[in-house]
Amino acid sequence: MHYQPSSRLGKWVNEFEETAIAVLLGLMTFLTFANVVARHVFDSNILWALEATTYLFAWLVLFGVSYAVKISAHLGVDALLNVLSPGKQKVLALISATACLAFAGLLLYGGWEYWSKFYTKLSFLEAEDVPFPVWMQWTVGLVEDGEPVYENIPRYIPYFILPFGMALFMFRYLQATWRILKGEQRMLIASHEADDMMEEMEHDLEAEGIDIVGKQGKGD
Amino acid sequence: MEVILLFLAVIVMLGIGVPIAVALGLSSIIFLMYHSDSSLASVAQTLFEAFEGHYTLLAIPFFILASSYMSTGGVAKRIIRFAIATVGHVRGGLAIAGVFACMLFAALSGSSPATVVAIGTLVIAGMIKVGYTKEFAAGVICNAGTLGILIPPSIVMVVYAAATDVSVGRMFLAGIIPGLLAGVMLMIGIYVVARIKNLPAQPWAGFGEIRASASDAGWGLFLIVIILGGIYGGVFTPTEAAAVASVYAFAIANFIYRDMGPLRHKPRRKEGESWHRAFVRNWIEFFVYLLPAVFHKDHRQTLLDAGKLTIMLLFIIANALILKHVLTEEQIPQHIAAAMLEAGFGAIMFLVIVNIILLIGGQFMEPSGLIVIVAPLVFPIAIELGIDPIHLGIIMVVNMEIGMITPPVGLNLFVTSGVAKMPVLDVVKAATPWLGILLIFLIMITYIPWLSTFIPTALMGPEVITTH
Repeated sequence: MHYQPSSRLGKWVNEFEETAIAVLLGLMTFLTFANVVARHVFDSNILWALEATTYLFAWLVLFGVSYAVKISAHLGVDALLNVLSPGKQKVLALISATACLAFAGLLLYGGWEYWSKFYTKLSFLEAEDVPFPVWMQWTVGLVEDGEPVYENIPRYIPYFILPFGMALFMFRYLQATWRILKGEQRMLIASHEADDMMEEMEHDLEAEGIDIVGKQGKGD
Repeated sequence: MEVILLFLAVIVMLGIGVPIAVALGLSSIIFLMYHSDSSLASVAQTLFEAFEGHYTLLAIPFFILASSYMSTGGVAKRIIRFAIATVGHVRGGLAIAGVFACMLFAALSGSSPATVVAIGTLVIAGMIKVGYTKEFAAGVICNAGTLGILIPPSIVMVVYAAATDVSVGRMFLAGIIPGLLAGVMLMIGIYVVARIKNLPAQPWAGFGEIRASASDAGWGLFLIVIILGGIYGGVFTPTEAAAVASVYAFAIANFIYRDMGPLRHKPRRKEGESWHRAFVRNWIEFFVYLLPAVFHKDHRQTLLDAGKLTIMLLFIIANALILKHVLTEEQIPQHIAAAMLEAGFGAIMFLVIVNIILLIGGQFMEPSGLIVIVAPLVFPIAIELGIDPIHLGIIMVVNMEIGMITPPVGLNLFVTSGVAKMPVLDVVKAATPWLGILLIFLIMITYIPWLSTFIPTALMGPEVITTH
């Protein structure tokens, strides 16, 4: 189940995806924690922390779904597949892949429509709390008559993950379909979330040579 | 009738190996396009709002993160050591300690398969070594592992609370008595079998070992005190409690247990070092290594592991919310409720039907996804019939627990077969006798509401029931 990128580009992309996921989750936790500390220790409040955390949350999941396709981590039912012959498995896997591609395509289209509405007609709509620092607006040229355009970030920034994430999602399913066609991949799903953990535990145990029962009676 | 087609589409897609999230999302989208004039853009909006608009769901990534700092072999080892020290000396002690360890681990982790993997890998091997049969060991752990979703904090309970707008705090409190009861019932069952079969007991390790192992395991177990205490003390919301617990777990894993990070495997107290010297040195180490620990590659790996699980679960939940949207729009729950009342079904018949649906569904599907779909469907009916929402939540959780070990395809059966390295069919045979105990437990939970509602009502006052 551990994904091994083959090419140099693949390694770089993998590194980027994994770091992005870790950083997004880390930031969410830090912001929420910092807000609790601000409230109880400094008797103040980071007003934008909650909204920013929910945006990071959406980015984490919608960006991460494509990564999860790449490592075949999406959960599914493999009970039926496991009793079928490899040939039939391949046919069903291809039908599943078609369904996934259709789903990704529909959401990509919907996500694009939704986002482009906010980018064009509704570009004046701002987030409720998350501020848009003036220097950032200067850097990207969002200035009219010497004044920054926005007070808070415009909504099309957080919403951009919808079309972007779904495009990546679709791309990863195209790749997976190709791998199934070539016979390099058997199915699109993992059966349970602890798959990874099982490997790790065994690894740990071998490394440390743990003998729990041997620990008995050490206390007296 | 189209709704039946909708559910049929979901089941067929699940059967041929489409990911759960896609099966739920795609069927709902097709239904919406065919049946109403809502646009794809509004579906995309629903997807985004799953994260933007559900403050409760935000607790899930933090609970997952807190437990992934704690779901290491090292923590499982400490908990098992404590469990063996306390109950290992009675007849069938190692098996009883296994159940106890599963209960404690369940308080750190919200997932049943994770509990089986962490505790099972160590305990099953240990039990075989002192003379238990492999079947006995696997059967016990397979059942006890299901407690992961019942003992708070539990991800499934957070999902139920988010789907039905009941309080997460109440759900957690409600899980305490049932969680303890299920564990004790399993332990009694083991003790009886152990007396009959004359199973081995471990030597009494002495109070010294209990104290030593308790203080070691205590650092990790204090996590649950932070979560429950913080929520009921009114210090923070469940979401904040989970984030604080993550930060605490990070500190413990890096600086006390030293299972990860820059201080990995460096002792807290060196050989011959005095107690207060070590104390001062540890604090200096904390400040020096705090930033290196945050940016350490071990930490990135833990964040990534938790992130992966968050992505998988939340994508399922987000798509289940699209389906929920369809069901609500079509007023499906109301129709079913009316039909049931007309047919003269009462609360008891209704609960039996819910039991059956969940036992079957729990075999095929990941519990969080199942609950997002079933909860909005049965919740309004249950309220109509006068069933307490918290009680209903606990019933649903216990049902899914049992669904995970009901043959032919319960999830925990597969995990146990992997951990114990034995064929699934053998695990089924091994787990079935203990399944009986959990079925009796299910009946008790279903028909004695007091077991679930006593603590939340006593601590938080009677509940205000709202329908929407």
